Amino acid sequence: MTSVSDDGKRSKRFGRGGHTTGNVPLRMRFGVIIRSMWHQSVGRFALIVMACWIAVSLLSLFWTPYPLLYTDGGHAWAAPSAAHPLGTDGVGADVLSWLMAGSRTNLVIALLTMLVSAVIGLACTAVMISGRRALASAGVVVVDALIAIPTVLLALLFAVPFGTSISVIVAACGMTYGLNMARIVKPSASLAARSAYVEAARAMGGERVARVFSPISCPRLSPVLAVQLSMSAGTSILAEAGLTYLGVGVPSGVPSWGHTLTTSVRLISVYPLTVLWPGLTVTLVVTALYLLGDTIRDCADPLANVELRKLAAAVGRQTHNTGADA
Amino acid sequence: MRYLIRRLIWFAVALLGLSLLVFAALRILPGDVASVMAGTNATPARIAAIRSRMGLDRSYPQQYADWLGGLLHGNMGVSAISGRTVASQIGAHAAVTLPLIVLSLLVALGVGIPMGCQAVLAGSPRVRSVLHTIAIVGGAVPALWGGLLLIMLFGRGVGLIGILPSQGFPDAGWHAPRAALISLILPTITTGLVAGAGIMRYTRACLISMEDSDAVAMAMACGMTRRQAMLRVGLRLSAAQLVSVAGLTFAQMITGVMVVESLFNLPGLGAMLINDVGNRDLIAVQSELFLLAAFFLLLGLLVDLMHHALDPRLGEQTQHAGGEGSTHDLGIR
Amino acid sequence: MNRTDMAQDAMTQDVDAATRPQLATSGEILHVRDLSVQIADKTVLNDVTLDIGANERVGLIGASGSGKSMLVKAITGLLPRAARVDGDITMGGTQLQAGDDAAFAALRGRYVGLVFQNPGAALNPVLSVEQQVGLPLRLHYDLDAGERRDRVMTMLERVGLPASLAGSYPHELSGGQQQRAGIATALITSPRLIIADEPTTALDAIVQRSIIDLLVSLVESAGASMLFITHDFAVLSRATTRCMVIDRGRIIETGDTTALLRDPREPQTRSLVNAAKTLTLNVNPEHHHA
Repeated sequence: MTSVSDDGKRSKRFGRGGHTTGNVPLRMRFGVIIRSMWHQSVGRFALIVMACWIAVSLLSLFWTPYPLLYTDGGHAWAAPSAAHPLGTDGVGADVLSWLMAGSRTNLVIALLTMLVSAVIGLACTAVMISGRRALASAGVVVVDALIAIPTVLLALLFAVPFGTSISVIVAACGMTYGLNMARIVKPSASLAARSAYVEAARAMGGERVARVFSPISCPRLSPVLAVQLSMSAGTSILAEAGLTYLGVGVPSGVPSWGHTLTTSVRLISVYPLTVLWPGLTVTLVVTALYLLGDTIRDCADPLANVELRKLAAAVGRQTHNTGADA
Repeated sequence: MRYLIRRLIWFAVALLGLSLLVFAALRILPGDVASVMAGTNATPARIAAIRSRMGLDRSYPQQYADWLGGLLHGNMGVSAISGRTVASQIGAHAAVTLPLIVLSLLVALGVGIPMGCQAVLAGSPRVRSVLHTIAIVGGAVPALWGGLLLIMLFGRGVGLIGILPSQGFPDAGWHAPRAALISLILPTITTGLVAGAGIMRYTRACLISMEDSDAVAMAMACGMTRRQAMLRVGLRLSAAQLVSVAGLTFAQMITGVMVVESLFNLPGLGAMLINDVGNRDLIAVQSELFLLAAFFLLLGLLVDLMHHALDPRLGEQTQHAGGEGSTHDLGIR
Repeated sequence: MNRTDMAQDAMTQDVDAATRPQLATSGEILHVRDLSVQIADKTVLNDVTLDIGANERVGLIGASGSGKSMLVKAITGLLPRAARVDGDITMGGTQLQAGDDAAFAALRGRYVGLVFQNPGAALNPVLSVEQQVGLPLRLHYDLDAGERRDRVMTMLERVGLPASLAGSYPHELSGGQQQRAGIATALITSPRLIIADEPTTALDAIVQRSIIDLLVSLVESAGASMLFITHDFAVLSRATTRCMVIDRGRIIETGDTTALLRDPREPQTRSLVNAAKTLTLNVNPEHHHA
C-alpha cells in the first residue's frame, strides 16, 4: 500500500547517464515506446487492461445494462441471473451497471491523483534541491516529517469540514504520494540539476520560476516519474476502495469500484461469489498500473531500448544535417 | 549526535505545525458542535451554555492555546457525544488496534523479507518470476477484498474451512487473552499479507540492486558463496532502506487496518475515529487525529534514527549527501 | 586440516621466494582451457586459454569492454547467474564446474585473493578495517579471536596501515588507505594466486605508485603468483614478466612483457600500446573510466 519506488535498477542507470533522447520530438519517442511496450508480454497486458478500462469508462457514459437510477424494488439483494449477471444491491440496482459506471469515477480519481501528486511532488523536489541551503534542508525535513502521516488520517481530517467527496480522496492521496515521489525523485533530480541540460537552461536565462523547475523538467527524470505516477494511480484506486468502505470516500450515490465492493460485502450472505468480480477488477487494474510504470521505465530508457537509441541517432543525424539546433 | 538534536528540534516544530493544521482544518467546518451536542430540540440558551462551557465562544487563538495547554497536561478534552474523556476512549480502542498493527507488521516482515530474498536467490528462474508476480499482484489486492476472501475461506460459519472467528472481539477484551488473540488472526493475516507483498517487492528490489555490487563481490571474494554474500552483506547493506520502507508501509497499512477493523467488527481506533468524524464530534476528533498523526511522526523519527544507526556512513553527516547514482539510493532514505 | 594449511602458509610467507622449490610445470596455479562465456546471447569470452605458473606474475591488458573483468569473474566464479560458461578451469588442483558456487567459494579468499578496482565501493561499509581484513580468516579458518586479531594486526603493519586505524570504517579512510585495506584482505590468508583488477585506477597518481610497489613486494615475498590487470604500462613492465592482450573476448597476443610492449604484433595491441603510452605519461584516473 505504499507508493515508494521499488525498482532496483533505476538509480544505477541514472548514474551512468550519458544517453538522453531529449532532442527527439516527443510524439516520435512516444510511438517507439508504446510499440516496444507492446512487444513485451507484460507491457501488452498492461496496455490491454488500460485500453479496456478507458473503453468501459467511455461506454458507461452512454450505455449500461440498466440505467444507474433504475431500481427493481421487487428484486433487492438478488443473486446473479441472466438479467442481472452480478446480482442486485439493497435497493434492487444492477451491480454490473454500477461496476461499469464506477470505472469512470476511478479513472477520474486516478488521473487527478496523478496530477496532484505530480504537482506536489515536483514542487517539493524543486525546493529540496534548490540552491539555497536553508530552504533545501527545511524542505527535506518537512517532507521527512509529513511523509509519515497515513493517507487515511488526512482523508479523515479533510472529511470533517468538506464531507465525503472525490476531492477529499484526491487531496489525501495526492499529498501522501506527492511527498513520497519527492523523496524518490530527489536523488535523480539533484543529479540532473548538475547536468548539461540544466546548465543550458540556466544559460538561456529565462524566468526565475522556470529556472527553479528546469532540473525537474529534465528528460532523464521521466522514467522515474512514470513509475511513480503509475504507482500513485494504482494506489489511489486501492485507497478509494478503502476510504469509500469506511464512509469517507466517494459519496453514496456516486458509482465507484469501492462502492461496488462495499455493496458486495453486504451481498456476501446472499451470494458469496459476487464479491469476486469487483475485487478482481480492482486487483487487475492496479496490477496493470504497477506493471505499466515498470515497462514504461524499461522502454523509455535509451540504455535498455535499442529502438529508442536508433531513433535518437536518426534524429540526431537529421538535425545535424539541417543545422537545426534544439 | 548533532543529527539527533537537529532531528528532535524539527520533530517538535513539526508537531506544532501539525497541531495548527488539525486545529485549522476543523475550524472551517460548517456544523456547530454545540448544537450537535445539545440535541435537535434544544433551546438557544442551552446551546449557548454548552458553547461557553466548552470554550467555543472564545476567540480561535484562545481556543487553540487552551487545547494545546490541555494536551501538554495530558488533558485531551471530553467527547461531546459520549461524555467520556477522549483519553479513556483512545486507550480502550488502542488496546485492539495496536496489537493488530504490531502483529500485522510482524507478519508483513516475516513473510515479505524471506520471500523477497527467495525471489532473488531461488535457483530456478521460474520460481523467481512466480515470486515476483506474487509480490506485484499481492500488493494490488484491496485489503477489503482480501479480508472477504479470507472470511469466505476460513470464517467460522461462512467459510469453506470455517475454523476461525470472523466477527467481533471478546467482550472481556484482553482479560480473555486466548479468545482475543484468536479473533485477531484473520484481520492480522489480511493486513499482514497485503503489506507483506509490498515489503517483498522492496526486499527483492534492494537485493537485485546489490546483486552485481562490488560489496557483494568482495564478500564472495573473501570466501562466501553467492547466497551467503547476498544474505549477509547484500541484505545488511539494504537494511537501512528496508527500515525506511517498513516505516512507510506501516503508515500506509493504516487504511487497511481501519477497513479490516470495520470488516471484522473490531472495536478499534478506526471505528472510533469514523464514528466521531461522522458525528462531527469536534473535541474528540481534534485530539484523536492529532494524537494519531503525532504517533506517526514519532514513528517516522524512529525510522530515520534507525536508518542512521544502520549506516555508519551517515554517522555525523547531517544530510545524505552522497549516494547519487550509487546502489544505495533506491530513493528511500 | 585447515588449521595446518594455515600454519604452513604462514610459515612459507616469510620464506624468501627464491628458496622455494621452483615448479616449472605451467598451469600449476591456474589452468584455463577453452573458456567461453555468454551473457544474454552475447559472447563476452571466446575460447580463452591461459596458464599461470608458480611465482609467475602475468599482466592482462585490453580496451574497455574487451572482457578483462569478465575473465577475472569467470576464473573466480563471480559471473552473474545468467552467464553461460563452457570450458575448463583448474585451480589449486580442483577442476571447477561453472555454477558450483560452493567449490569456488572454498577457493576464494584462501587459494585466490582478489584486489578490487574501487575499494571505496568494494569494502563492506559496515565492517571495521579489522573485521574486513579478518573476514577471509573467519570464513576459512577456525581461529580464536585473539589469534585472528594478531594476524590481522601483522597484516595491517605489512601493508602500512597504522594499528590505530583498525577500528575505523572504510568511509573514514583515504583512497590509498582503503586500497591498502583491500590488499590486506586479499593477502591475509597467504593465497597462492592474487588477482588484481586495475587496483590503482581509482587512486591519484602519487598513491598509485606506492600501492603498486606494495602489492608487488608483498606478492613477491609471499611467493605467490599474480594476475595483474592494468592500463599502466610502466607498472606492467615493472610488475609482470609475461603479458596477455585481450580483445573482444579473445586472447590475441601473449608474450614476454618488455618484448610485447616494445614490438606489438597485432594492430589492436599496437593501438592499445600507443594509447597507453600517452596515458602513462600523464596518468589521469578520469580517462580510465571513459
